[in-house]
Amino acid sequence: MNRRNAIKNVLALSALSVAGFSGYKYYSRFKKANIKEIYNYKNLIAELAETIIPQTDTPGAKQANVQDFIINIITNCSSVPEQNTFLDGLDDVQDYCQSNFQKEFVNCSSKQKIDVLQYFEEKSLYKIGILNKINQKLLGQPFFVKLKALTVIGYCNSLQGATEGLAYDYIPGAYQACIPIQPNQKSWATK
Amino acid sequence: MNINKGSNLENTFDAIVIGSGISGGWAAKELSQKGLKTLVLERGRDVKHIIDYPTANLKPWEFKNGLFNTQKDVSESPIQSSNYDPGDKHFFINDSEHPYLQEKPFNWIRGYQVGGRSLTWGRQCYRLSDLDFEANLKDGHGVDWPIRYKDIAPWYDYVEKYIGVSGQRENLSQLPDGNFLPPMELNCVEKHLASSIKNGDRLLTIARVANLTKGWDNRGPCQYRNLCSRGCPFGGYFSSNSSTLPAGFATGNLTLRDFSIVTEIIYDDSTKKATGVRVIDKITKQEYEYFAKIIFLNASTIGTASILLNSKSNRFPDGLGNDSQQVGRNLMDHHSSAGAEGMHENFKDQYYRGRRPAGFLIPRYRNLNGEKSDLGFLRGYNLQGHGERQEWPDRFQNIEGFGVDFKNKLTTPGPWTVWMAGWGECLPYAENKISLNENKKDAWGQPLVNINFSFKDNEEKMMNDIQSTSAEMLEKAGFKNVSAFNYKKPGGSTVHEMGTARMGRDPKTSVLNEHNQLHDVKNVFITDGSFMTSSACQNPSLTYMAMTARACDFAYQQVKEGKI
Repeated sequence: MNRRNAIKNVLALSALSVAGFSGYKYYSRFKKANIKEIYNYKNLIAELAETIIPQTDTPGAKQANVQDFIINIITNCSSVPEQNTFLDGLDDVQDYCQSNFQKEFVNCSSKQKIDVLQYFEEKSLYKIGILNKINQKLLGQPFFVKLKALTVIGYCNSLQGATEGLAYDYIPGAYQACIPIQPNQKSWATK
Repeated sequence: MNINKGSNLENTFDAIVIGSGISGGWAAKELSQKGLKTLVLERGRDVKHIIDYPTANLKPWEFKNGLFNTQKDVSESPIQSSNYDPGDKHFFINDSEHPYLQEKPFNWIRGYQVGGRSLTWGRQCYRLSDLDFEANLKDGHGVDWPIRYKDIAPWYDYVEKYIGVSGQRENLSQLPDGNFLPPMELNCVEKHLASSIKNGDRLLTIARVANLTKGWDNRGPCQYRNLCSRGCPFGGYFSSNSSTLPAGFATGNLTLRDFSIVTEIIYDDSTKKATGVRVIDKITKQEYEYFAKIIFLNASTIGTASILLNSKSNRFPDGLGNDSQQVGRNLMDHHSSAGAEGMHENFKDQYYRGRRPAGFLIPRYRNLNGEKSDLGFLRGYNLQGHGERQEWPDRFQNIEGFGVDFKNKLTTPGPWTVWMAGWGECLPYAENKISLNENKKDAWGQPLVNINFSFKDNEEKMMNDIQSTSAEMLEKAGFKNVSAFNYKKPGGSTVHEMGTARMGRDPKTSVLNEHNQLHDVKNVFITDGSFMTSSACQNPSLTYMAMTARACDFAYQQVKEGKI
């Protein structure tokens, strides 16, 4: 049983369940998240992030410890509804993998991992379409949009991402306004 | 509460300066260099140049949460946190500790520490011209400035030569040239836009900024890190902390007292002068009094007005120097919400290196004769912006998918873009004002400031014009996907508050005379943004500094001649 089903079962025994699904939905978004549970998902987050930014000739998200960054941001810099949206999204990924491939995401093949993320990206685009702005502010960005954004920011601001994936210039010392672009030019890591 | 009057000798100075920000720092330097024993009172903590810049050398990965603010920051400081990140958070106050009341949304951005907001300022330095000094007289809004460009021009020279301003001379009457260090260079998309725009008085030039393009006064040069608001370990830009305060201390005449909240200026009706100030120690909450021949009030526009309003006496029941009832009124802030952005398909083989801490400026091109025009609005605006290639922060939300292709696009330079917005003049409206709410007090027993401010029809029409002219310029220069925007930011967001103790010729309608003296209390000088009779559209700090140096010179002469 995963985290969310456990909550549902508890709720089923309580008077709250008479409020029906919408009541559950409301409760589940605004109840205080047991955010410590996010540490149980560390491997899953790492694999998801690595699928978004894989290792190539430069480090990928996992090597850049993006999973730790994402856990920090969800824990310290996100509202309760955002935390719940994110934890629910992780559960959705697990559920989807179980019902389609009968295994956990981390054990899926590369092809399966890509299929899973494609499914969630399309779902998030659909969600952005129907969610109005107020909802987005209240509930946070859809799971996949948030995951992708945090993966990118965590990677590009990491030691490995900034100095190897991108071009990091700690103290430029001068400004060269117009210079020819170099072969395989990397983007500057900071602005 | 104990009042510690101390020994008169120990608490008596020639001059007191209230506030250590960009104008207070200048007052401290000028007065102490002239030989006056000067006390600077700062309500916040001390910030020593370089030593107290804890984040200045940190790399992005050395912040625990990257550059995200925590939920705690956002809930405790909803206003300030919209203006800071973990790199410069320590130079902003905590909103919960220093509450204020907003009748309409107004972002009051504050830095209560030695150096004030000179640590985090935008560093842009533009002279006002007679187009600005004559504007109120010509169109009848507000009152006439009691000075003209010729009165301030030598003091602009004096300040620019000291702080170091890089920029390009352009020979424009609406934006006079200054004493410039070599300009920073425009990048190739900016040069392209500049050549497309150039037409008589309309041109694009590099921003004029107090960032040093060569070593100056034992500071700098700028290292092009673009991390100025963390405090610069190279002294690459001007702040009170890096420049004026150390110069003041070097004279041996300057004393700084931090954690000193000035609650009022003490007035003596027998001499018709202020005798000193009353201070609450922020930490011990003990009260102190300090005395001096002259007082410079540089507590920032809203802070200065609230100290005046709180300084009540039999002679001034509505606040010191407030016979005109103008103290706290005519609050102005530039609007900077409207503009346009676009993308250019050329120059794909060009890039840049280094992070230039300045953009470009398109000086004012509207209503240049100062008369009422058929544009539907008075006064004008300048455009400020920058060109760059899209990097990962601009791109990732627009690149679909994930995996190797996504990573390749994410980590390579995107197309060139230009963003630019209008910094626009705000008319002085009597009803845009601050007042004190005596029923609500802060942790030091002081009444809360109540702010009632809104932009009005003239500003709204100007913003519409900004959107259309800036979009037109981009389209003419061949930009694609041009979109005009109006962020509709509330007042205060540009952090250029000014006008609450305006200068004027008539004591009945203004607070300060042509020497920045209170009309009726001649030994009190106010040279922060509150003296501004109109806002013009130029970033105002250079004008505050120049007027401070000018007023210090006058005040010193008056003291020497025994007149005050």
